[in-house]
Amino acid sequence: MAERVSYQRLPKVRIRELKDDYVKFELRETDVSIANALRRVMLAEVPTLAIDLVEIEVNSSVLNDEFIAHRLGLIPLTSDDAMRMRFSRDCDSCDGDGQCDYCSVEFHLNVRCDSDQTLDVTSADLRSTLPNVCPVDVAHRVLASADPNSYDSSDQRGILIVKLRRGQELRLRAIARKGIGKDHAKWSPAATVTFLYEPQIHINEELMETLTLEEKRAWVESSPTRVFGIDPSTQQVVVVDPEAYTYDQEVIKKSEAMGKPGLVEIYPKEDGFIFTVESTGAIKASQLVINAIEVLRQKLDAVRLQEDDSDFGELSAHLHGGG
Amino acid sequence: MASKATKPDYEALRELFRPHIDSFNYFIDEGLEKALLSIRPVEVSDPSTGGKLRIYFENPQVFHPVREGRITTTKGRITEALYPHECRQARTTYKGEFKVTICLQYNERQPVQTPMSFGHLPIMLRSRLCHLKDADPQKLIFHKEEATEMGGYFICNGLERLGRLLIVPKRNYPMGMIRSSFRSRGVGYSDKAVVIRCVREDQSSVTVKLYYLQNGSARLGFWIRGREFLLPVGIVLKALIDTSDREIFVSLTCCYNDRYQKQRGAVGSQIIGERAQIILEEVRDLSLLTSSQCLKHIGEYFRPVMDGFENEFHTTVAEAVLRDYVFVHLTRNHDKFNLLIFMLQKLYALVDQTVAPDNSDALQNQEILLPGHLITIYVKEKVQDWLNKSRRQLLDELAKKEKNLQISMVHQVAKFLNRNAASVGRSVESMIKLGRLTTSSSLDLPQREGMTIQAERLNFYRFLSHFRSVHRGASFAKMRITSVRKLLPESWGFLCPVHTPDGEPCGLLNHMTSTCCISSFYDSEGKVKDFLKIRMSIMTVLVGVGMTPLLPKLERAGPPVVLHVLLDGCVVGSIASSKVEKAVAHIRSLKLSSLSGVPNDLEVGYVPLSLGGTYPGLYLFTSPSRFIRPVRNISHSSDSNLNIELIGPFEQAFMEIRCADGGDGGRRESFPATHEEIHPTGILSVVANLTPWSDHNQSPRNMYQCQMAKQTMGFSAQALQFRADVKSYHLQTPQSPIVRTASYSKYCMDEFPTGTNAIVAVLAYTGYDMEDAMILNKSSVDRGLCRGHIYQTESIDLTKNHDREDRVLEIFARSSEKTMKSSIDSDGLPYIGQVIHPNEPLYSSYNTLTSVTKPTRLKGSEPVIIDYVTVDGTTSKNYMQKVNIRTRRTRYPIIGDKFSSRHGQKGVCSQLWPDIDMPFSAVTGMRPDLIINPHAFPSRMTIGMLLESIAAKGGSLHGKFVDATPFQNSVSEKDEDRPSKSSTLVDELGPMLASYGFNYHGVEVLYSGVFGTELTCEIFIGPVYYQRLRHMVSDKFQVRSTGTVDQITRQPIGGRKRGGGIRFGEMERDSVLAHGAAYLLHDRLHSCSDYHIAEVCSFCGSVLTASVIQPQKRAVREIHGLPPARTPKSYTCHACKTSKGMETVAMPYVFKYLAAEMAAMNIKMELQLSNRAGSGG
Repeated sequence: MAERVSYQRLPKVRIRELKDDYVKFELRETDVSIANALRRVMLAEVPTLAIDLVEIEVNSSVLNDEFIAHRLGLIPLTSDDAMRMRFSRDCDSCDGDGQCDYCSVEFHLNVRCDSDQTLDVTSADLRSTLPNVCPVDVAHRVLASADPNSYDSSDQRGILIVKLRRGQELRLRAIARKGIGKDHAKWSPAATVTFLYEPQIHINEELMETLTLEEKRAWVESSPTRVFGIDPSTQQVVVVDPEAYTYDQEVIKKSEAMGKPGLVEIYPKEDGFIFTVESTGAIKASQLVINAIEVLRQKLDAVRLQEDDSDFGELSAHLHGGG
Repeated sequence: MASKATKPDYEALRELFRPHIDSFNYFIDEGLEKALLSIRPVEVSDPSTGGKLRIYFENPQVFHPVREGRITTTKGRITEALYPHECRQARTTYKGEFKVTICLQYNERQPVQTPMSFGHLPIMLRSRLCHLKDADPQKLIFHKEEATEMGGYFICNGLERLGRLLIVPKRNYPMGMIRSSFRSRGVGYSDKAVVIRCVREDQSSVTVKLYYLQNGSARLGFWIRGREFLLPVGIVLKALIDTSDREIFVSLTCCYNDRYQKQRGAVGSQIIGERAQIILEEVRDLSLLTSSQCLKHIGEYFRPVMDGFENEFHTTVAEAVLRDYVFVHLTRNHDKFNLLIFMLQKLYALVDQTVAPDNSDALQNQEILLPGHLITIYVKEKVQDWLNKSRRQLLDELAKKEKNLQISMVHQVAKFLNRNAASVGRSVESMIKLGRLTTSSSLDLPQREGMTIQAERLNFYRFLSHFRSVHRGASFAKMRITSVRKLLPESWGFLCPVHTPDGEPCGLLNHMTSTCCISSFYDSEGKVKDFLKIRMSIMTVLVGVGMTPLLPKLERAGPPVVLHVLLDGCVVGSIASSKVEKAVAHIRSLKLSSLSGVPNDLEVGYVPLSLGGTYPGLYLFTSPSRFIRPVRNISHSSDSNLNIELIGPFEQAFMEIRCADGGDGGRRESFPATHEEIHPTGILSVVANLTPWSDHNQSPRNMYQCQMAKQTMGFSAQALQFRADVKSYHLQTPQSPIVRTASYSKYCMDEFPTGTNAIVAVLAYTGYDMEDAMILNKSSVDRGLCRGHIYQTESIDLTKNHDREDRVLEIFARSSEKTMKSSIDSDGLPYIGQVIHPNEPLYSSYNTLTSVTKPTRLKGSEPVIIDYVTVDGTTSKNYMQKVNIRTRRTRYPIIGDKFSSRHGQKGVCSQLWPDIDMPFSAVTGMRPDLIINPHAFPSRMTIGMLLESIAAKGGSLHGKFVDATPFQNSVSEKDEDRPSKSSTLVDELGPMLASYGFNYHGVEVLYSGVFGTELTCEIFIGPVYYQRLRHMVSDKFQVRSTGTVDQITRQPIGGRKRGGGIRFGEMERDSVLAHGAAYLLHDRLHSCSDYHIAEVCSFCGSVLTASVIQPQKRAVREIHGLPPARTPKSYTCHACKTSKGMETVAMPYVFKYLAAEMAAMNIKMELQLSNRAGSGG
């Protein structure tokens, strides 16, 4: 019987850049399974709110009901409370019909065009029953008007839903519910989540010095992204931005073509990842990461709590190194 | 929003539809009048009084479509303009009244003119009589049409139909033909003939054939009323003009000269003299010496078949025959005589094999039948029929004893005639509606059915292609030979080599190239051409360049020395072969200037002298309905806009046209190019022109794309709200392609986009992309990729259910029952926006006789959404009777739907793959919308698609559209005088990508979405314009466990609509047998099919004689609340009168049916029952 091996590691996160809808951070001392799990959870399993049920009373616009309902669904709503809310399918107090504050938020849209000019119906026309749940661009504008220092967004007219001409009308009731991106992309809080392996670049300085300046320049130019540069003073090839490297191996191919293989060696670091997260605005990018970790923990909890279950017998045996 | 500032120009688009509209305009402007005035007046004589009534036509007129006015004021009916949109909605015909003034002249009195209505003629949209004739986009939108509406079609019963463009033999050109079928004309006939299709001014035509007889003589053949008449050519020659035998002999033999024998271009041979003698002897043998004797002979022969000549002299009949059937394009007999001589010479040359036969399958000898011309011919025929019928009826009426009608009472006659005049309009309408010609004569047209087709608006490409398609003729579709389907070099530049369907109509249904047009009756200023004037000015030009006119009768030499000049099928003179090339060049230069009087679409068919080639001569054609296309005349190197010459396929074969790449195309020095193509894409049709970089694809792929472009779900119409198409497909969120050709913007295709720019990764990822399957990103679909709808309109006309029109029998009404109230409004129609599931009521109607409200339920298996309901209020009744209900079905991409790129790469969606599992790029975080397998490329060689991917990637990074016009490198080199570096396309696209930090070749490093690890290969990824095809599983899947069975055989029925099964047929049976899967076979063919337990009498062996014995008493008393217990049935044999031998045998029910069928034929089938297994018979 072998000793129980602990696979426990204590990953570290270092935030490089943080904005409302953008975060760039390093994740270290863990492996790709954790990194990718985090990515997948951020994309598909962090809950948000999105319009899920639309009752159309009047629609005389050019777009048909489903089209408008679809467009409404894709409008990102501020979902800071989404983690606390219930899925309407789990809600005990209601059937998810919008009356219940635990699982749903009701929206109303009532627009009619009475002028000769085309009227744009935008997300700004959506009236929410809960003040903290509204289309993200509306929330932005509220913040912007409160804070004089922020950029002026008066020219922003919100997310266009449909255009109305004279006499056309759109009246509807919409219910936003909590959901996850796995069910429908509209609930996905992330626009982009990606990570890259931190590259380790070793330039063979000796071999590099055998190149002429012209050759060095050609070699540096061979990479479509600016990874390498030439030090103007020493005329040495230096790494300018290792993370710009896309693992396209252009420089390696180039050095082979120049008859100097081994000019540079580039390896991806197995335990260092640089994450880029862009949020749709439904939740802040930083919150998105935190929520994702929370969701991931809940999922792991679910596994751990079922440890004694016979279903997981094999798994737990594996986890505890039993055999 | 740049499109708002600069109004899109739809002129290029309109130009494509011009042939249709121009031909119909001509029908209205002149054709109709010419046709009706050429109808011979009819005379009716009263046998009792001897009075004569002459009936003839004057002043035919077609009016604008008007609504049948309901408002009558003191001044009469107020007419309101009828617009096409109303006709589509009301399922009526867009037609205008057709009125003709009928002149009735009794004896020599003053003719009485009475206007008479001949019913209504369908009016072509945007023609001269259409209300939308010159409408600008704004007006069109106001009238609920597309902004681009091009017209060119008719609306019949709400359906859009257009005339099929058919290939017909070139008019007024004598064609040498070799057909074995000519031998069957009679004894002594050879297989050679010269055929000419002569066309009158009113576009009706008569084909005349000049057959060669084995004895050296010739016969002139033409068809009258379904029968071919053959005349010895000598008689015709003599009858045409007053001439002597010597004259005929000389004109026939003069073209031959000993000196030039076997020389280049010599066509005659020395036996011509003998042949001429035979011709003349034939006439002499019949003892016909003078012209009048010949005429009398002809007249006698034709009198029985010529209508209305009962009381005329033989010579008058003969003159009518010569006028109406022999060379009808010429009016003077002298011209006819000369043409006949010319044809004889050509015939003999063909026989002597000094010239080659003309290929009737080549575009060189073909022209096109335009819808307007067809209608002209058809109207003429129908009016003629009506006139003949009326005359017969008048005569019948006059022969009756009670004199109801006096032909001296002209107004009475007019009233009599008016009775069935509307039949003319009706039959024309039905011709357009069904495409079927119902005439006694063939009208000299190649086919009788399929003259019109429906203009489907599945998407814009399909709609447009209908108007550009040219069909070879339905009769060729059945033929086994493939020679008619071949792509011949003659069609270069006129018919698209790419755009033809594969399969059954391959090569028969072609499409005109984007530059090809049809010569019309209208000049560039829109005025009707005066052909007489044009011919006169051409004649003066010809004489000016050295042609000897024919008029002073001169003995002229034949082809090696001089060439005959034919102008529109009339021999006008001859020109020395040494002068002819200069003359042709001169005429061509005159074509370019508008002041010369020579029309710009004149076809100068100069056939040079050759050894055994086409019969030489100078053939000039001014006629309409020829194919024409622009090329650049480089011998006239003036301004680039002024040297565009229009050429036809006949002259093209003998012209030197080089491609625009600056090379000489392998020409010899002695034949320098005189013309140049304007752009290489001119040889492609509009749809083929829209394939980006089609010059980088394997050719069949471009053909497939042309097919698939026409089956794409796209924006079928922008005025979808107002349309009532029976079925139309609509893409919810289409996009404009990033990579596009020059034609895309030229033809404003952005008005009707057909696809989406999808990010396509080329990799084998999950195995679900094998064999042309493709994986869609589920999130992309969630966000609206390729979402579509199907709109269907159901027209309900309650009056149609009842024959009697005077009473309103059924009205729309809702039943008072509560169950109906849910989905139907109080007017009996559904609510707009309502979802209706199958078998739920769609609308309900109330029958006033039976007082029953009956709901009509929705058919099909899919729920629909009510999109719109239109009510037709044009009927005079107070209740609404006609209603259109437009329904909508959502079609979001699901597994099994078909997609395709623009390079003939179609595939079926096999999975909607979760976004998180898709491979992603570490740099941008992009996940592909769509994954296709790399195996789609090596064998298909669609390099254009790879280029599109790279270019679109660069273009989207750059923020601009990329021009992907094919054959760019063959034009640009000359234009820009670039050094001839072999710059490939990739050399342009690659650096663009590299400048944005992407790989030069369009590949990227991707990471597995499942594991987060780097994929072993770099993946080719980029945006490609993808089309969603209309073939969707929702319309096709078929599934059944149990269901309806056939009444007779008790086997499951077939057919998807009825919920039937899929046939497990003979071959399927064979394969299961071969596998030895006996149980499966039994299960499929018996247990799951018509399993039946039959009662068989073991004594007589019959399956049919079992009859049930009714039990005397119910064995078990019925217990309340329980189903009655079934008493076991007992059987008795009807034949043996005993129930002792009854046995139950499991068998297919059809077997029992077979026994019954056999019994009906007096064949008894006996079964021998046995318990021992395997003990046979």
